[in-house]
Amino acid sequence: MIEILCEYITDILIGVGYTMLVALIGTIVGLIIGVLIGVYRTIPDPKNKFVKVLKKIGDYILTAYVEIFRGTPMMVQAMVIFWGFAKLNNGQTLDVTVSGLIIVSINTGAYMAEIVRGGIISIDKGQFEGAHALGLTHSQTMFQVVLPQALRNILPSVSNEFVINIKDTSVLNVIGFTELFFVAKDIVTQTYKTFETYLLVAIVYFILTFSISMLLRFIERKMDGNKNYKVLGSQNMDAESYVKEVNNG
Amino acid sequence: MAEKLTPSAQIGQTNSAQDSSVIIRVEHLGKNFGENEVLKDIDFYVNKGDVTCIIGPSGSGKSTLLRCINLFEKPTSGRILFHGEDVTAMRKPPLLRQKVGMVFQSFNLFNNLNVLHNCMLGPRKVLKLNKADAEKTAMKYLESVGMAAFVNAKPRQLSGGQKQRVAIARALCMNPEVLLFDEPTSALDPEMVGEVLSTMKTLAEQGLTMLVVTHEMGFAKDVANHIVFMDGGVIVEEGTPEQIFTHPQQERTKEFLSKS
Repeated sequence: MIEILCEYITDILIGVGYTMLVALIGTIVGLIIGVLIGVYRTIPDPKNKFVKVLKKIGDYILTAYVEIFRGTPMMVQAMVIFWGFAKLNNGQTLDVTVSGLIIVSINTGAYMAEIVRGGIISIDKGQFEGAHALGLTHSQTMFQVVLPQALRNILPSVSNEFVINIKDTSVLNVIGFTELFFVAKDIVTQTYKTFETYLLVAIVYFILTFSISMLLRFIERKMDGNKNYKVLGSQNMDAESYVKEVNNG
Repeated sequence: MAEKLTPSAQIGQTNSAQDSSVIIRVEHLGKNFGENEVLKDIDFYVNKGDVTCIIGPSGSGKSTLLRCINLFEKPTSGRILFHGEDVTAMRKPPLLRQKVGMVFQSFNLFNNLNVLHNCMLGPRKVLKLNKADAEKTAMKYLESVGMAAFVNAKPRQLSGGQKQRVAIARALCMNPEVLLFDEPTSALDPEMVGEVLSTMKTLAEQGLTMLVVTHEMGFAKDVANHIVFMDGGVIVEEGTPEQIFTHPQQERTKEFLSKS
């Protein structure tokens, strides 16, 4: 195993690099897709009839997207999208890395849409009312008050998706994407040391997912901020002394 | 139906003078939730500087009435006039809500923002004040409710009474013409009720127009100049605190007050 590691370290690191690249970008783009869909779904019903119909059509399209991508294996999606593109483009395939990024992103987006929607509806109705009572519009309420809380609440689920993506990028080997699993297959064809190679790759995968889990948990704790707060001056302090205290740090 | 006396009629103002000082006029307001008729033909008005307390048993429609006024609930029938303009047909409720503030039973402070930013959000985003002005406004009102020292605290770090005082400051930062209070002390323990009520009393003394749904009869008696007693979705009786608490005309009012 050690020999394999020493001999193929460059290839393994390239595999790790591509795996992490696709997992990270796929999760981030997926989250963005999820937030957009989640926000779209909470838009109050438009008064204009025509806009209402348009929104309804949009709703159906989004539902179809979410259900189809959650309901089929990513490995099959990868094949369909990769070869489908080639079919439409006179046999010319899309760049493998770009294909991988697109597939993981839209697949993750389908899951994230539901995660974000769950995050938004978990926010107490009072938060919306508090904002609306000040005269904030729906989108101001969403972006200033609701989404920051919803995103904090769904962070564990987002971390989970990231970890799943690190492992699931291995299915992209079917389109010839040079991620970690693809590298392993390549090493096996050269060394015939099947068990040792895959054991080594398993360990590498575990190190990746475990360290990412730990890192994200640390970020969650950071985001919760300080348990304590500083009481400035006395309770009856006036504005002037407040400014003075703040300026003094 | 009891004779409807309003505070300004009491002090003998003429009709025209009365009209110019009317901020909110509710006409034949009705509200149904499906089959359930919650408000029936409600008529009343709020003058500038009035402190109106709406009292009555639970389920009598007090909160729904209040929520209709800032369009949280859409009335089924009737009109609500704000400075003579019908707001029930309004396409953009946020424009009304900037001028009609609301304080909730459950505070509804923004959990993701600290005390200072809770108070700055409205002025920044809705009134478009710059950061320094918004901060100055926020500090002014936080100071007036005695919460200036807690600007850095998050809502979850405050007691109920403190949260409600911040919520009042947050509403005041918008410089509203009327402030609606929806049972502001019902979620508080007896000691905290006092600190919130005294804050509200100070505001009333400063001439803020307030419409308060409350079960605090002591507050209604001392601070309000106009009491509305509701039951079963209608206004049973209204008048000055003296009229309602000392000489109630309606049997239902007497019965309700004898129990509280």
